[in-house]
Amino acid sequence: MANPALIAAVGEVGKGFIHERTSETLPCQATDKLFCWGWASEHINRYETPTLQHLELVAISVLIGFVIAFALALLAHRHHWLQPPLLAGTGVLYTIPSVAFFFLLLPLTGRGEDTAIIALSAYTLQIIFRNTMIGFANVPRAVVDAARGMGQTDRQVLWRVELPLALPEIFAGLQVATVSTVAIATLAAFAGGGGLGEPILKGGISFKTNLILAGGITFLIAVSFGLILFALQRLLTPWRRVTQT
Amino acid sequence: MPSDEVTERESNSGASAVRYEGASKRYPGSAKAAVDELTLEVPAGEICVLVGPSGCGKTTAMRMVNRMVEPSAGDILIGERSVRERSPAQLRREIGYVIQQIGLFPHRTIAQNIGAVPQLLGWKRERTAARAAELLALVGLDPDLAERYPAQLSGGQQQRVGVARALAADPLVMLMDEPFGAIDPINRERLQNEFLRLQAEIGKTVLFVTHDIDEAIKMGDRIAIMREGGKVAQYATPAELLMDPADEFVEDFVGADRALKRLALMRVADIDLWEAPLAHVGQATAEVRSKLSGAEVPYPLLVDSERRPLGWLSERDLAGELVPSKPDSPLGPLLDLDDVMRDALADLLQGEAQYAAVADHQGRIAGVLSVEIISEFLGSPQAKTEEHPATERPHG
Repeated sequence: MANPALIAAVGEVGKGFIHERTSETLPCQATDKLFCWGWASEHINRYETPTLQHLELVAISVLIGFVIAFALALLAHRHHWLQPPLLAGTGVLYTIPSVAFFFLLLPLTGRGEDTAIIALSAYTLQIIFRNTMIGFANVPRAVVDAARGMGQTDRQVLWRVELPLALPEIFAGLQVATVSTVAIATLAAFAGGGGLGEPILKGGISFKTNLILAGGITFLIAVSFGLILFALQRLLTPWRRVTQT
Repeated sequence: MPSDEVTERESNSGASAVRYEGASKRYPGSAKAAVDELTLEVPAGEICVLVGPSGCGKTTAMRMVNRMVEPSAGDILIGERSVRERSPAQLRREIGYVIQQIGLFPHRTIAQNIGAVPQLLGWKRERTAARAAELLALVGLDPDLAERYPAQLSGGQQQRVGVARALAADPLVMLMDEPFGAIDPINRERLQNEFLRLQAEIGKTVLFVTHDIDEAIKMGDRIAIMREGGKVAQYATPAELLMDPADEFVEDFVGADRALKRLALMRVADIDLWEAPLAHVGQATAEVRSKLSGAEVPYPLLVDSERRPLGWLSERDLAGELVPSKPDSPLGPLLDLDDVMRDALADLLQGEAQYAAVADHQGRIAGVLSVEIISEFLGSPQAKTEEHPATERPHG
């Protein structure tokens, strides 16, 4: 039983999404039910492409963000005077509201995945940069002194001593950056970047089953990335396991 | 024994003398020099202690040797080569470096820590591993520790690993910056003794920085007392410093208890001990009594058939016909000929004993030390003028 009044209430944005539905799904979209199992099991495959897009957006953005932030951190580690301006610079990027950022980029880079990735990468810079710097700063001075004193070159000190000892903080930064990117990536749909923001945008705010499904998948993605990073960190820092027992 | 092989190899490769030739360090913007035209020679195989109040430039002087601090004038020679002839990294790989905070790599196992310099020098993996095992044994650590991480070791064990790591590539010179400063007093004493024993085997040239004059006297073959402004106030053997301080500064720094400090330089074997009348279990007491008159020690000492001391006999023990098997008074402190006199005195005082039996390496009675002997030694002119056998010390 289709209720035209309720369909209208879904709003302008939701129209496209709803019009694609077959008639038997309409009752679910048009009711106040929190979650329609029938609709969900029947249409779960609609989320496949947005999920894959979402994963891709996050993975590429965090990777690019990490490469840039890490390079900046290495630079600031060697030239300490660079630290304040870089912190300030990445901090400014971090404070731009996400939606505004996407819209600001649209005239420059056009709609699409690239725009989304640029904005998302920019958001990760501050967290990864700052955490990497903290990691370097937390390396015990005596250990660096001993390393230099036994004849390690600056480069060897960096890669063999400072970097491994900074890993816990670097990973902490990656965790936060990744999880927040998973969340912000739902806004990529505004810039035509796809991802799980797309069904949310199309389904409208009153189609709760859709919201819960898209939101739930987003949540699972965040948790999975978190777990993968946690496992990776444990694998790369075996010495921390023994000290904690 | 593997440790003997190590010793032989170590002493074959030898050690180099270190010569400061007017070496100075001035920091920009500072009027006073941190180290001011230091000229000093440390003979190969000796421990030279740089000691002085904080801010006297002793650590700076030491760190100029491996160019952790770049000298601003003058030169430092290791053997015949200036430290400037090599790149700092190259130079440092030939110099052992031990610091107070130890600075072990927390993310590397003990074996990897010890193998750090060999790895930099490109040794083969098997050779590095074998060397790490050798050094663990040399510094008296369980080989099972090789695969542990530093956080799993005690502070004392970590410092031993620090010393082993510094020795790994058989350096010409060792630099030790307050190496035992962060260790509790009991373990510090033990580590000092261990290092002296080790040094007697390996004979490295060691520059040792401390602010503790007692440690300097104990560890040094030579001591350079430094004063503010990076100048050497006196450079001499410990005995010379104690007997003949160059000026008031040195005298103050060495302390008013110079005579007592000399005890730290002596071993029980260095002094004339008294003889106690000896008694055996089952011996006729009359025979023991006859030995008492005119003896230096007025109590008979009960010994076993190997002449190992068992205890002191009292008047009550001698009341019967035969010497009993259980003496009335316990033995009290038992010293060794190798004990340092200062420790021996401490044992005497702690045991509230007037006499202490001294045993030789086999545990047999070698004589008796008394508080009187020590006080006579401290009061005698000999205590002030006799050239102390510093050179006879095992690490000398």
